[in-house]
Amino acid sequence: MSYLSSAIILASALFVVRSKNLIHSVLWLAMTLLGTAALYAQLDAPFLAGVQVLTYVGGVVTLMIFGVMVTRRHEGANAPSDHGEEDRGFIFATALFVLLALAIWKSPMALATPQPSPTTAQLAHALLDDYLIAFEVLSLLLLAAIVGAVVLARRRDPDPITGEEPAATTPTREVTP
Amino acid sequence: MSPVTLAVVATLAPAVAALVLLVVFPLRHRGAPAAWLTILGSVVSLAAALKLLVDRLGGAVDARATVPWILEKGHAMAELGVLVDGVSLPMLVIVCVVALCVQLFSVAYMHDEAPRAYGRYFTLHALFLFSMNVVVVSPNLLQLFAGWELVGLTSYLLIGFYFAKPSAAKAAVKAFWMTKLADMGFLFGLLILFVSTGSFEWTTQPSTLVATWVTAMLFVAVIGKSAQFPLHIWLPDAMEGPTPVSALLHAATMVAAGVFLVVRADPLFALAPATRDVMLWVGSITAVFAAFLALVQSDLKKVLAFSTSSQLGYMVAALGAGNAFAGFFHLGTHAFFKALLFLAAGSVIHAVHSNALSDMGGLRKKLPLTTAAFGIGALSLAGFPGFAGFFSKDLVLTSLEDKFHWVPWSLLMFSAFLTAFYMGRVLIKAFGGELSAKAEHAHEGGPAMTGPLVVLAVPALLSGFLGGWLATQVNASYHLHLGLTPVVATSMSLLGLGASYFVFRNGGTAPLAPTLERLDAFSLVDKTWSTGYQVGLLGVASLAGWFDRYVIDGLINFTGWSALEGGQRARTLQTGRVRDYALMVVAGIVVLTLIGVLR
Amino acid sequence: MTLTNCIVLAAALLCIGIYGLVTRTQAVAMLLSVELMANAANILFAAFGHFRGGPAGQVLVLFSLAITVAEVAVGLALVMLIYRRHGDTLLDLASEAKQ
Repeated sequence: MSYLSSAIILASALFVVRSKNLIHSVLWLAMTLLGTAALYAQLDAPFLAGVQVLTYVGGVVTLMIFGVMVTRRHEGANAPSDHGEEDRGFIFATALFVLLALAIWKSPMALATPQPSPTTAQLAHALLDDYLIAFEVLSLLLLAAIVGAVVLARRRDPDPITGEEPAATTPTREVTP
Repeated sequence: MSPVTLAVVATLAPAVAALVLLVVFPLRHRGAPAAWLTILGSVVSLAAALKLLVDRLGGAVDARATVPWILEKGHAMAELGVLVDGVSLPMLVIVCVVALCVQLFSVAYMHDEAPRAYGRYFTLHALFLFSMNVVVVSPNLLQLFAGWELVGLTSYLLIGFYFAKPSAAKAAVKAFWMTKLADMGFLFGLLILFVSTGSFEWTTQPSTLVATWVTAMLFVAVIGKSAQFPLHIWLPDAMEGPTPVSALLHAATMVAAGVFLVVRADPLFALAPATRDVMLWVGSITAVFAAFLALVQSDLKKVLAFSTSSQLGYMVAALGAGNAFAGFFHLGTHAFFKALLFLAAGSVIHAVHSNALSDMGGLRKKLPLTTAAFGIGALSLAGFPGFAGFFSKDLVLTSLEDKFHWVPWSLLMFSAFLTAFYMGRVLIKAFGGELSAKAEHAHEGGPAMTGPLVVLAVPALLSGFLGGWLATQVNASYHLHLGLTPVVATSMSLLGLGASYFVFRNGGTAPLAPTLERLDAFSLVDKTWSTGYQVGLLGVASLAGWFDRYVIDGLINFTGWSALEGGQRARTLQTGRVRDYALMVVAGIVVLTLIGVLR
Repeated sequence: MTLTNCIVLAAALLCIGIYGLVTRTQAVAMLLSVELMANAANILFAAFGHFRGGPAGQVLVLFSLAITVAEVAVGLALVMLIYRRHGDTLLDLASEAKQ
């Protein structure tokens, strides 16, 4: 069962990075995240699985799709990189994986046994008790991110006095499709 | 004023003039004000020198004042100051008189120069007089060396006065190189002296070995400065400078500085008989050799240049014979009559616009005063009885006779014959015979030119009678007695003049004349030097140049190239593409992981 | 599902994410690759939490999720900005415009 979810995760992740169509990539990402949620469930973390589905699949992926839709000009806009670069990326990624696998294989972690998982109530206590400060800091971070994102993405208003469009909104460079 | 103050004034007056002209450049660029300021400085110098002389005649004694120089941990390594004694005072007067005459002469002679060049010329003259006076009054060898180098510098600048003319620029560089090469000797001599005695005084008493080395090194400098064989080759080329410059620097004063140095350092030379023997021979050979060369020159100034070299050979020979006074006396008389000769030659050149003897002829009809002046100078140089050169030359020859140096004595006697012969030749070719084409419109150069001639003609005639007085000043004995030397010398002189008359009287048509004209041994020495220069110095220079170009520059270039190349390579890393940066990050991770795994 | 399996899975996911990050030119696609890598980290947290016991692992995953969401929000805002400036979201074009 867990191997199935692992396979789903890896396969859909590969599709995410290889798919020519951005929308497909995002959908494959949703698949990966769902697989991860299933993995969480198998790791005795049902609350995590639920949050994963809700925030990731429900929030992040939706956001991504919006982003793609808003910024997309034409289908297949993913300008293909040349083969040299793909090879380079492949070599580096493979090398890293081999090295990591080697490190894992050399470590004694294989002998670890599963421990009893905390209940959701325990989790809530930990979150709002032991890790309260981190929790609050995180809420601040989210607030800052939201404000920042709004500031970045908002369309500049015309200058109230001169009526000129702000310079930043005019493309500095003509792009020929 | 005290003698010290007067000597300082005499030394510094031209320096002030030169400094003012250097700093206040509009004065220099205007030309005429520079001339008058320089002459004013010279007049002040001469007045101070004459006052010193008068005081001296009134019984004043030697004066010396110094200030510490080059302080090292509170201890002065050397001294700077003035010394007024029987050697420096007559020399000071001679230098100032000749310099003033030459400067006055130059006012007219250089009149056609552009104002800037005119100003530059006189500024250099003021600088020269200062430098020469520094040499003359210096109380020790170090200050003398400083002045020595300064006159070398002004000599270089004045020879190269017409620096736009390639031959002048080349001559200046040649003179500079030759004298600098010799000046290395001075420097080494100073170093040896200081290391072994801790002093730059010429009154120190080092061991014979040290004295020999020091004097030998000093003599090398003398060979260069006083144009002795085999370093004499720069002097004829130095005639590229304006004629008054030749009169002052390359006849009367600067080239005589070498002789002056030996006279000054006589106590040291007295300790080194070996050096004196060498000097005797070098001087004698130079006297004959240069006289031969003077015989065959077709350029009036070059005749005089070689004759200067020859006469300096006399002085050096006298010094080598141990009679410093004889050398000094000849130096004094020579300064007057050779300056006179050069200025008269300048007057001639000014009149006919040419240096070549062949362009001259019959000038006695057009330039009577110049002819008279040149005649006096020539007869004095030839040692005609009664003229200044007669007395001093006899003294030189007598000093050799006294020491029984018969071979150098014969050489100098022969040289005396040659001197009379070539001066007779010049006299006949330039002033006798028919009027040449170029001399048609010749005329005297006005009072500014003839005045100095008249002034200098007096000592050229009469300074020989001052020998007795000069001898008392330097504590030497002086008495002319009718012996072998005066008789032979006089007959040589008359014989030379007569022979030249017979050979050249009909415009140089006698069978001997063309043969003599073709005899040009000078070029041999010059060629030897230039070959040595090319093979030796240029060889080393090209080797050094190669090393510099390919090894030093190569290293520099490699550094630059590697930085550039490295930059070019590194630039490709900075593609500005996010992916490439990400790749770099990944590469870093891979490397770190690798390290972690391998540990 | 042993711990080793989980870690290997996370490593593979990370490498796939890296591969995507390095090879894709679209800003959104690169963001997706970053998401994959973040997901790999989350898997590790959960796995270690599971084999260690206690709530710490799951709490860290929750925090990580929040941070990822913030990152996606800011990243997408940047993508919008790039798009508005250059009419496209190819990051290469953005870097060329910089020169």
